[in-house]
Amino acid sequence: MLNILLWCGLLLPLTASATSSGFERLLDAVVKIDVREVTFDGGTKRFGSGIGSGVILSKDGLILTNAHVVSPEAVEINVTLASLERVSATLVGWDHWTDLALIRLDMAEIKKRKLSFATAKLGNSAKLHPGQTVFAVGTPYGLTRTVTRGIVSNTQRHFEDSRGVRGYETGAFNTWLQTDAAINPGNSGGPLVTENGKVVGINSRGYLGADNLAFAIPSTVARQIIGALVKDGEITRSYVGIVPGVLQDLEGFYELAQNTGMLIKSVDTGSPAARAGLRGGDILLSIDGEKVDGRFPEQLPEIQNQIASRPLGAALKLEVFRNGSSQFKMVETEKLISRVGEEEAFEEWGLSVRKVSRTYAREHQLEKSDGMVVIGVRPGYPAAVSGLSRGDIILKINRQDVTSLEIAKQQHEAYAAAPSSVLVETSRNHRVSLYVFKP
Amino acid sequence: MIRPSLILVVLTLTALMSRGSPALADMWQDRVKTVVAVEFFTETELDRRSTNTFGVVIDDNGTIVFSSQAIGARVSPKQLEDFRIYFPGEPTTQEYSATYLGRDEFTGWEFIRVDEEAARERLVPITAYDEAPEPIVTDEIWGVGLKKKAEDFKPYFMSSRVSVLQSLPQRTAIAMSEVSGLGLPSYDQDGRFVGLSIGGFGRSFLQYSSRIRGGVPVVMVNPDESAVVMLAHEILPHLDRIPPNIEGRPTVWLGTNGLQPLDPEVARYLELENQAGLVVSEILEGSPAEKMGLLARDVILSLDGKPLPVLKPDHVVITYFQREMSRRKPGDKVVLGILRGSERQQVEVVLEDAPLTPREAERRYFDSLGMTIRGFTFIDGVQRRLDVKDHHGVIAHFVKANAPASTAGLITDDLIDEIDGVKVASYEDAESILENIAQDKERGEFVLLVKRAGDTAVLRVKLK
Repeated sequence: MLNILLWCGLLLPLTASATSSGFERLLDAVVKIDVREVTFDGGTKRFGSGIGSGVILSKDGLILTNAHVVSPEAVEINVTLASLERVSATLVGWDHWTDLALIRLDMAEIKKRKLSFATAKLGNSAKLHPGQTVFAVGTPYGLTRTVTRGIVSNTQRHFEDSRGVRGYETGAFNTWLQTDAAINPGNSGGPLVTENGKVVGINSRGYLGADNLAFAIPSTVARQIIGALVKDGEITRSYVGIVPGVLQDLEGFYELAQNTGMLIKSVDTGSPAARAGLRGGDILLSIDGEKVDGRFPEQLPEIQNQIASRPLGAALKLEVFRNGSSQFKMVETEKLISRVGEEEAFEEWGLSVRKVSRTYAREHQLEKSDGMVVIGVRPGYPAAVSGLSRGDIILKINRQDVTSLEIAKQQHEAYAAAPSSVLVETSRNHRVSLYVFKP
Repeated sequence: MIRPSLILVVLTLTALMSRGSPALADMWQDRVKTVVAVEFFTETELDRRSTNTFGVVIDDNGTIVFSSQAIGARVSPKQLEDFRIYFPGEPTTQEYSATYLGRDEFTGWEFIRVDEEAARERLVPITAYDEAPEPIVTDEIWGVGLKKKAEDFKPYFMSSRVSVLQSLPQRTAIAMSEVSGLGLPSYDQDGRFVGLSIGGFGRSFLQYSSRIRGGVPVVMVNPDESAVVMLAHEILPHLDRIPPNIEGRPTVWLGTNGLQPLDPEVARYLELENQAGLVVSEILEGSPAEKMGLLARDVILSLDGKPLPVLKPDHVVITYFQREMSRRKPGDKVVLGILRGSERQQVEVVLEDAPLTPREAERRYFDSLGMTIRGFTFIDGVQRRLDVKDHHGVIAHFVKANAPASTAGLITDDLIDEIDGVKVASYEDAESILENIAQDKERGEFVLLVKRAGDTAVLRVKLK
């Protein structure tokens, strides 16, 4: 017994210390991020605030964080450096699919105030192994520069969430690192690092109420995203409309060799894949001659990326297996867009809306993606008084089709200038109703 | 100190004052003969459930009606068995069998007829009594309530005063408290027939608790008694609507879906004051409405030249319109006055017999698979927003828990599109394929392709 204790005592300082110069340097590159952002929820524009973490990656002030920490709705971003000095920053770009965002420090301000900061280095997450010690650094509950320790619990966790990042989709194009290092609210956007201070992941989320089940975006994914965000401010992905499923256990039924093909769970209505005649239950065997293996869930993001990384408008040759024989289908890609449309608040009406997106229209089996969804009404204002409520889809205003937010904005401006009754046509569960906004 | 003798005097006096009239007691005794307790059984995949409800006698042939609410919406008439009646207050060991005649959509009544002549003779129809004039607010009305089966459906006296009269759209009196058992008649002071009580009315309360701050709104519903009486002139003209068959066919069909009443402010904006309007949300494919050129978003303003009445609450006009339709027969012509955009038009529609309903569709239970399939009907297509011309597949009507189909992930109301990679063209198709699978003892598994809320899922059903 004594032997074991001694052994542990000897082992701990050797394997779990983090006193390398690289680690010291990393600590100086981790920042706290305070964000003030606009929300459109309750029929009016409101400002909210949030706290997150981030890590400085370059001398020109690029900071990597989570998309759920800093989004395009941010109106004010303040970064607290390791020196406790506060500096403002601006959004460079974001990608909710991988929950990553890039911001840049106001370098003019840094220079003027003669501030300095350290930069962190990205490590290679592909070389991690389960059981390896890692550290999470961040600002849990606003507690700056908190270091927690854990191990890599899984290197290839797969999960998708259709509204995981501020209502936006996430997780379809990457797997996650799972760690038992304590991750709390505010850790988001902070780095997951190895003992030598190399950033191997960006801490993103944990299960609330569970014991140390936390997830980070691998640095290999981050590396690709950073490049594209710096260049274009957004990630453009291609879309064909295939919802993937695992083939596990079904190969026998389809008489396919193991590790061959991916199940097409369903095909989005009106999507390129649907137009090409693909349907749920088909098995995707290859994309442009490249074999596909979607036996397990962990393999799906890679296949998704295979499609997403093709240029917009590219013609993909998909080999599909159906009823015992395979056939080829040509599918032209289009741009992947989110289910969350643009938001706006019409304050005179006390109405906040979100544009109906293609995905939203499909999910709700709407014929067209015209119109805007009511996301909030302000009590006592014309929209609320008329009886309109959250979830109604506004199709027409004064008999004019709402094909864009611009049309609604014009109607709202006209109302603001000279208030008079407005006739609004809505649909809810495919039931059409009329409302009047009275001044 | 009060002397005991004085207390006695006071008590006697009180008793005398509140005593009911002997005439009323006799009338009540007599009117009990117009009501019976009804029991029937619903045969399901797994069990046989009994339902008890109250019925009212409507003619000298032993015909009895009770509310359709007693029968679940998913239940097919073929599942209903062993109808019987009990006389109020008599031992339930004595039951009298009855025959199910079917449902009438217009009135919402289920009809049965007592088999035995001896039992029929003891029944008195509500038509044996005079029709009461429409009561006025404050009038006292009374009726019969029936206890549960364990108490031999013992009858008891109920009474209250009319609190308000409303058109819903049928003329209805709402009393201050319950006046009769659910679905049973009530009478006025002269013993004249006032109407039949209807259910579905709850009362709103706030429930306070020491743990939750503020009151929680709750609706309390009395399942056995009712204070809402549909008046006699809405009842008596329809007693002859005995269904010609248990499906209640023919049922008339227009094909306008999702009718929504015009909000009063909207009506004013459209200059439609003093009348109601109904917005048509969608026109169903292949329906009479479609054939005659009615369009989604048309606003129906009148029926056969009569403007739609203003009824409160606003949505009552939907029931009004639907009742006006179901009052008619396939082949009847109706003229609808509509508002299209800002233009008024007249559309003439010839009504047709409605498409098959899920209740009527064929179904079959496969015990070894743990599922019931049901034929795909027009309504299934409408609900799932599928193309009417491409109707195929069957519906998973019932999925038994912890059986092969449920373990594979099949859920009630899934649309089964393919079985073992073969498209299901018809109900017969699906039935014979599943029959073969169920018979084949060597079978290890089969695969279903199902559609659920726009998504497709491949389910592997393991049999071994």
